[in-house]
Amino acid sequence: MILVNKDTKVIVQGATGKMGSAHTKRMIEYGTKIVGGVTPGRGGSDIHGVPVFDTVAEAVQKTGATCSVIFVPPYLALDAGYEALSGGITLLVLITEGMPPQDTAKLVAAVKAKGAKLIGPNCPGIITPGESLIGILPGSIFKSGPIGMVSKSGTLTYEIGLALTDAGQGQSTCVGVGGDPVKGLEYPEVLQMFENDPQTEVIVLIGEIGGNAEEEAAVFIKKNIKKPVIAYIAGQTAPPGKRMGHAGAIVSGGKGTAQSKVEAFEAAGVKVAKTPNEVAQKVGEARKTLTRA
Amino acid sequence: MFFSTKLKLPKYRRVRTDVQLQLGDDMAVRSARSAGAMRPESRIGRATAERREDWTLDLYEYEAKRIFQDHGITVPPSVRITKPEELRKVHLGWPLTLKCQVLSGGRGKAGGIKFPKDLKEGEAIAKDLLQLTIKGSKTESLLVEPRLSIARELYLAVVLDRAQGCPIFIASAEGGVEIESSHNVVTMPIPYPFHPFVGRELAQKLGLSGSLLTKVADVANKLYKLFESKDLDLAEINPLVITEGEDVIALDGKITVNDDSIHRQKYFEGWQEKHLSDLSHLEQRAKLADLNLVELDGNIGILCNGAGLTMATMDMVKAFGGEPGNFLDVGGGGDQKKTLTALEIVNENPKVQVILLNILGGITACDEVAGALVEFMAKHPERTMIVRLRGNNQDKAEQMLAKSGLKLFPDLEEAVKEAVAKSKVKQPVGAKA
Repeated sequence: MILVNKDTKVIVQGATGKMGSAHTKRMIEYGTKIVGGVTPGRGGSDIHGVPVFDTVAEAVQKTGATCSVIFVPPYLALDAGYEALSGGITLLVLITEGMPPQDTAKLVAAVKAKGAKLIGPNCPGIITPGESLIGILPGSIFKSGPIGMVSKSGTLTYEIGLALTDAGQGQSTCVGVGGDPVKGLEYPEVLQMFENDPQTEVIVLIGEIGGNAEEEAAVFIKKNIKKPVIAYIAGQTAPPGKRMGHAGAIVSGGKGTAQSKVEAFEAAGVKVAKTPNEVAQKVGEARKTLTRA
Repeated sequence: MFFSTKLKLPKYRRVRTDVQLQLGDDMAVRSARSAGAMRPESRIGRATAERREDWTLDLYEYEAKRIFQDHGITVPPSVRITKPEELRKVHLGWPLTLKCQVLSGGRGKAGGIKFPKDLKEGEAIAKDLLQLTIKGSKTESLLVEPRLSIARELYLAVVLDRAQGCPIFIASAEGGVEIESSHNVVTMPIPYPFHPFVGRELAQKLGLSGSLLTKVADVANKLYKLFESKDLDLAEINPLVITEGEDVIALDGKITVNDDSIHRQKYFEGWQEKHLSDLSHLEQRAKLADLNLVELDGNIGILCNGAGLTMATMDMVKAFGGEPGNFLDVGGGGDQKKTLTALEIVNENPKVQVILLNILGGITACDEVAGALVEFMAKHPERTMIVRLRGNNQDKAEQMLAKSGLKLFPDLEEAVKEAVAKSKVKQPVGAKA
């Protein structure tokens, strides 16, 4: 497993909002060590049995939290991120969708300067099955096992997670890095963590058309990753010139095509699956090969 | 490490930033590759036929110039006209420059810029230009400016770089028509917090000196400031001209406003509606309802939550022999009302024979979706629906839908196969879709 485990102490920024509250409850039910919530002006109260604080600094001081999951509205996300960093949080999981990209850029710079880690924004979060769920992923889909997953997508991660779980391929950790063009953790950093993680045997990378993060990941894998990697690219049949939902998901001027990504992966020895079920199948094949070796 | 910054810039200035950096494939080079930035191809690569399909708020030249001027960047004196006879009231001397105000690129090549020598010629030309449609984009008005005596032209832009995760300057000492063959393209990251020395370093890199260095640095810094304060994806001046009197003037400009930021920019309130004129009726409705719709040619209407899942579902429909009629991503956290709007939008597409709904509830609660489905089916009982619904609050959703008689598919592949099979069934003539 990487980044989070059953001992990771988590606070929720925006815990009393509609989304924040619903997911705080779900995370607690899953077994995540939620130690507090932060909502300015609501300090001293509690939510789903955990104390609410006015500031992150106070929450960290009183609970020893190292991770914060952020559910605040998009225009407040930068401030919330700065507050988390200043309060001593070292892992920020930013769920919020629609954060202005220049705000994200400012937060990413601050995170780097502090040596902290940011997952997101516009991401489903992270889950180490059976230990800790931080974010909005549906916990029931994931089961503990040797597959590391990293994905730009939210719901597609659930889909492929489901296919893996149904095929008996549990997961070490699943990281949804988010679909925004500017973000915290990118593929290479997460790939390296899975490479170093003893539990992870096979890595699944879920990408999509547009940009060139997948091509860069392919180059990185060729140089640095010994474990088998299975990739899936969404948008193989997307018409050129149309933005497919995510800000970055567009094929234009012949750039960012699924084909280019598939070729880059294949050149790096990465097997590319065409459907979610095929991901599970190829993972199974890769594990068989490992056992034989 | 190889860091080539051979920038492919437009053949003609009005094609604007087709900024596709040509690079090696090394990782370290990603910064340069993505000088194409935020939405590397859509935003910057203004491959003109494609750009109108991108739902971003692109501004007309006159709007961009008004913003430049508000931020202290000199622009030529100008008058905007919508009728030829308004030229009579323009007192900028002759010859004049008449420029079509369109949202598409390639304006100069398409004959959208003319230089009439007197009023008579001007009125005749203005009449023609006002009726001109360039690459599907109608001329909104004409911008009338005096002809400047230009000593040289530069290129200057600020974009948010995707790979470096920070704003960057892109500049060239050769703007305008010569720019494509320019070997003098400079990119420079703009670190937080911003300091004006960055503009001076940029001007120096462009090979400028003396008072020109400080003047161009000043424009660059002002361009960055407006890029930041107005939440832009792109702020571009092409060309930035230096007159024979050494005045530095933004002769043409391009601004793209960031979609996600628009609700905190009072300045742009109400502008989105005005700039969506090139989208189809349904795409406009979807856009204003905060839904991501792309219309396609097939007969299976696809509705999912999340871009990745919607793309994957579309890919699977194709793989199993079906034809997607649309791509509709409801996004995260869609409630009952938003889901219902989405269903209605897909339903209105006359080509759609089957609706395939695939929702995996994470931040979206399945019961909210079920509520929308119950409401939708009460209104459109004849509609063929294939529903795959899993995730948070699934049990509650199943209970709600049990009464409706709708079959739920737990497996996506099964759902897709069923939708494809249903899409091949010939509908009786005159059947209501």
